[in-house]
Amino acid sequence: MAELRGSYGDQPNHILTRWFGTPDLHKLDVYSGKPGGYTALRKALLDMAPADITNEVKTSGLRGRGGAGFATGIKWGFINRDAPGPKYVVVNADESEPGTAKDRYILENSPHMVVEGILIAAYAVGANQAWVYIRGEYDEPYRMLTEAIEEARAKGYVGPQPMGKDFALDIRLYRGHGAYICGEETALLESLEGKRAQPRSRPPFPAVKGAWGRPTLLNNVETLATVPWIINNGGATYAKLGTAKSPGTRLLTVSGNVRKPGVYEVENGKTFRHVIMELAGGPPEGRKLKVFWPGGSSAPVLPESMLDVTTDAEALAAARSMAGSGGVIVMDDTHCVVRAAHRLLKFYAYESCGKCTPCRIGGDWAVRTYERILANEGSQVELDTLQRVSDGLQNGRCLCGLGDSAGWVIDSTLRHFREEYEDHALRHECNVGAVTANA
Amino acid sequence: MSALSAHVLEEIKELPSKYPQPRSAVMPALDLAQEELGHLTPEAMSEVAVALELDPGYVEGVATFYSLFHLEPVGKHRFYVCTNLSCMLRGANEIVDRLKQSIGVTQPNQVSPDLLFSYEEVECLGACEFAPMMRLDHKYHYDLTPETINDVVAQLRKTGLLPTRGEVAPPHSSGGGPQGRRGSAGGEIQAPKKPRATRKKKADG
Amino acid sequence: MPDVNLTIDGHKIAVPAGTLIVEAAKTVGIEIPVFCYHHKLDPVGACRLCLVDFTPGPPRPQTACTTPVSEGMVVRTQSAMAVAARADILEFELANHPLDCPVCDKGGECPLQDFTFRHGYPTSRIDGPRLHFKKPIPLSDKIALDRERCVLCYRCTRYYDEVAWEQELTTDERGVKSFITSQFDQPLQSIFSGNIIDLCPVGALTSRVWRFESRPWDMTHTETVCSRCSVGCSVTQWERRGQLVRVTSHENDDIDEGWICDRGRFDYTDVNDPSRLRMPSIRGKRSTWADAIGAVAAGIKGKGAKLGVSLPQDLTNEEAFLFRRLLDGPLKGAKVKMHGRTAIPAPEGDTMRIKEIDDASVIVVVASDLENDVPIIDLRVKKAVSKRGAKLIVVHPDGVDFDRNPHTVHIRNAKGAAAAEVRKLASHESLQNPGGPVAILFGDGHGSEDMNELATACGDLAEKVGGKEMPLYRATNERGALAAGVAGWDKLDGVEALFSWGPPPTAGIPSSAKFVAAWDHLPRDGYQEAVVLPAATFAERQGSYTNVEGTVQFLRPPIALRPPLKEGWEVLCELGAALGVSLDYAGIVPIQREMSLQAPDPSPEPMPVLIGPAHP
Ligand SMILES: Cc1cc2nc3c(=O)[nH]c(=O)nc-3n(C[C@H](O)[C@H](O)[C@H](O)COP(=O)(O)O)c2cc1C
Ligand code: SF4
Ligand code: SF4
Ligand code: SF4
Ligand code: FES
Ligand code: FES
Repeated sequence: MAELRGSYGDQPNHILTRWFGTPDLHKLDVYSGKPGGYTALRKALLDMAPADITNEVKTSGLRGRGGAGFATGIKWGFINRDAPGPKYVVVNADESEPGTAKDRYILENSPHMVVEGILIAAYAVGANQAWVYIRGEYDEPYRMLTEAIEEARAKGYVGPQPMGKDFALDIRLYRGHGAYICGEETALLESLEGKRAQPRSRPPFPAVKGAWGRPTLLNNVETLATVPWIINNGGATYAKLGTAKSPGTRLLTVSGNVRKPGVYEVENGKTFRHVIMELAGGPPEGRKLKVFWPGGSSAPVLPESMLDVTTDAEALAAARSMAGSGGVIVMDDTHCVVRAAHRLLKFYAYESCGKCTPCRIGGDWAVRTYERILANEGSQVELDTLQRVSDGLQNGRCLCGLGDSAGWVIDSTLRHFREEYEDHALRHECNVGAVTANA
Repeated sequence: MSALSAHVLEEIKELPSKYPQPRSAVMPALDLAQEELGHLTPEAMSEVAVALELDPGYVEGVATFYSLFHLEPVGKHRFYVCTNLSCMLRGANEIVDRLKQSIGVTQPNQVSPDLLFSYEEVECLGACEFAPMMRLDHKYHYDLTPETINDVVAQLRKTGLLPTRGEVAPPHSSGGGPQGRRGSAGGEIQAPKKPRATRKKKADG
Repeated sequence: MPDVNLTIDGHKIAVPAGTLIVEAAKTVGIEIPVFCYHHKLDPVGACRLCLVDFTPGPPRPQTACTTPVSEGMVVRTQSAMAVAARADILEFELANHPLDCPVCDKGGECPLQDFTFRHGYPTSRIDGPRLHFKKPIPLSDKIALDRERCVLCYRCTRYYDEVAWEQELTTDERGVKSFITSQFDQPLQSIFSGNIIDLCPVGALTSRVWRFESRPWDMTHTETVCSRCSVGCSVTQWERRGQLVRVTSHENDDIDEGWICDRGRFDYTDVNDPSRLRMPSIRGKRSTWADAIGAVAAGIKGKGAKLGVSLPQDLTNEEAFLFRRLLDGPLKGAKVKMHGRTAIPAPEGDTMRIKEIDDASVIVVVASDLENDVPIIDLRVKKAVSKRGAKLIVVHPDGVDFDRNPHTVHIRNAKGAAAAEVRKLASHESLQNPGGPVAILFGDGHGSEDMNELATACGDLAEKVGGKEMPLYRATNERGALAAGVAGWDKLDGVEALFSWGPPPTAGIPSSAKFVAAWDHLPRDGYQEAVVLPAATFAERQGSYTNVEGTVQFLRPPIALRPPLKEGWEVLCELGAALGVSLDYAGIVPIQREMSLQAPDPSPEPMPVLIGPAHP
């Protein structure tokens, strides 16, 4: 069994992780033996009309957990269930956002929860075929999910007549091959079609023209894993958890300079102070928290002074950041913000697909500028260049969100830590205690 | 002499029919080729193209986009050490330094003299709660310290041919690692690849 | 389609629904700069240069090249937000650009230069080192690529994939390291490769045939018609100091849609060949025109079937008209063989137009490899299939490039049995209920098919399924020569005298020929003993062609004919006189006038009709 670092066990706020830690939970009979295991699928297929399922999800207020936070039920409603020809559900299991490990956590602990969610979604939108696009490095989750699907197939849950219902359901897996951009939904579809993963210009949206040109519902692993609980317990029950606009719980991956890193299931609306300082134990002895990324590396940073911001999308938006993928990266006062930003820009430049000009050129331009600053060759010119590149990457300049994210890293770190930048660029010094080697 | 064995080519030819459109078979096909050869040579890519009735250029474009396709020889064992932020904050750079020492290389993608090892620094592998971490062949290794690196390398040296490849990887799995040829700063292009591919002009047969 | 009303920078306009903002702007003369957008390619929104802002819409700049107009839309190309967005994109574009404009072939006609001037920041804010790629590398012996200049608009690779259905040109790597390359650095082989030069918005793709020879502004350019095959694509021919230095495409939506093939684009250097024939000669000795023409006349007159005539594929309608007079008179009975002509009989009436392929629901291609026979029609068929989902049925013994599409139905007939397969087609499932017009394109299998049978079979099929036919003549003016009654297909073996007009007969000069007259523009083996008349090339010649679909198009020679060279019609008139036929014309226009008067009315076969001045 996978090692658990984070939430597990039957706690009041545990929706997803309630049975995590149960030996062999990844086996179908263990999962089915738990209250709720595959009962949602049965209920959806046998007792509910597809439109009722979608309505239940709408009622729950569930929002996508992949990063964009789009209302899941509304997205399901975009698919014209009666359109002739094939339709697909595509599951985004490409999890590559720095600081995010929650989908892996789910897949390794409770793959059947995901399988059940996929089957319900497919039935609701009228898709006979689901594809799980899983990042290539996830060998273990791939194996576990494959086995879970095989078990479900043997049991007849996946097949021509799941639970006796005359609606064929099939799930297949497609492995990624190392490209962060495949997490972006349209790039994912290109990749699934065997192409270079460059995002498509929208519209058309995947709901109209998705995989292989067919109507496609795209959802994140965690989003779908939440669906069985909603079907079992009712959307209204779910909506009572969390905040009005960000209901429910979500998995926050807390990593970096904390004593107890892990994947924690947190009811929306708790403060980051609670998440970082209590759940994750705060920074190591003798160090002070300096900055954190509240929703993966793409979410604009927040300084220590903003620890009381809550985890719901609205509070984060008000703080000029976002809930993103729920990856909480914590950095303490022994690390340098400029170096951290440089490392992330290297990531965005390396992962840029190269389709659009600002991101292709801008990421690299920023990296080279950071390099000059860190080599003590900086000046006001370099600081201005960073701001310029950052502006040129944001607000609709780029074709997809990767470019914006790169811009936000520069922009938010400059905004909150201008002094550290100036130390480096103008005074050629780093005033942080322990500087990480060649970051 | 073809680069790929007959049975692999047969297997590749079976792939397109498994997808709504045949191009989806490109990556699984390249997996099979890489599984057999360790890395993708122009010959192998061209043969994959012919087997899938595509232009070699199409396959080349796909193979060079994704970092898990190796276009140059790699060690028998491949380390993918995460150096992204969460791992970096917990010492990933020391892990890389130690690893270089242990396997006897000075830079990423260099194959160790005994041909056993090569490594690269990779982006977040989605296991940040275990930082610093790495993927060794098809397996994740967590909570790394310089000492554990020494141990792992020593262990591999002792067992030498330890079959980690395929241990947890299912068939059609991805083979290994990226080339790291796309560091963010450089723009120079590599030495021209050997002209190889045979253009499939007419699909006869 | 209904019109949509919108406002662009204060101009109120109405354009058809579905029009993209970038196209709508053009109608009122507003320039929205573009790199990746090209009106013949699917929009992708990659370069981001066309950012504008509009309401209703999000408070961010949006790409004008991917957004269709909507009713009541207000587009602003000059708002502060839009102006800054475009200037930033240009600045990013220039961040790594080598700025070697002074030595760049594109200098003078470069959108990057022009856009930077009109939409960029007035002063450069670029600092620091630029990214470097190895300087120009050959993509083939015809095309060079300079990756430092490339703005990665992907027009070239998209064209290759979307239009030509090939992927030998591709992008490698990703992000800032992405670069365009031919597959495994092998030379490009497609016959359609050269269009990427015209498509490239910067000086990244250049012609190696033309490279560094001259700058756009010291050339004159002339819109004319390609002479290399029967399609008759519109081209622009560029002249400098009496030489033909470049051929580019010139969009004509009825025929070529802006594409030309590599034959049309690169196959022109013979015009400038220093060894070109300029003076008549008799058995190797220079002579006057009068002496040479007299010698030719003496050698070919009254020989009946002992005279063989080899005709070039690109003789003009006017030349054919004059030559017909000779064939009816002093050269009566001569055996005539036209270069490159097919075994397809003259059409009995109108045939399908190239443009009509656009409307076809099902396209049937019989006994022809379009890619090589009529290249640009091949692209038209591909467009119908990939952009409109037309069904394609091919009847051909060998593989063809259409096989790249898995949906192509390819019936491989035994050589000579195409007609039998065509007869079976009437019951083919796609033709049972075609759901729209059916286009039937048929060739002659390069001589392997019985054309009477095949033409009948295609005609019957057309009747049954409601289709139109397009016989695929190959030789440049085959159709015109057929109409003039000169397009012979005789064997020339055994003739005693040979009048070899254009390149020598494909089978070589028959050994039986005791007298040879060669009218050609290049010296060739076997001309030492001949009477040789120097010929004008397609770049100097006046006249018209009738293309494969029956459209008559006039040549506009980019290069003035330099004496002692003479126009073809002029030589034929003089030859007529020497043979005792009065062909007394003061110029080409009187010939054309007479031809149009002679055209039967109503004309079953379009005879050359004067449709405007032959010369600019
Ligand atoms: C650059 C980029 C990377 C992304 N990476 C992921 C990812 O790894 N996993 C994911 O589920 N969504 C990712 N997304 C978001 C997806 O595009 C998409 O919104 C999501 O998968 C939809 O599922 P949801 O509605 O269930 O969240 C990414 C988006 C962008 C722009
Ligand atoms: S923003 Fe970056 S990743 Fe996204 S399409 Fe543009 S180049 Fe590709
Ligand atoms: S070579 Fe020219 S056409 Fe091709 S991508 Fe570069 S700039 Fe565009
Ligand atoms: S298709 Fe024919 S007419 Fe057109 S460019 Fe090619 S050779 Fe010239
Ligand atoms: S940062 Fe290393 S696994 Fe996420
Ligand atoms: S022209 Fe619109 S994005 Fe390139």
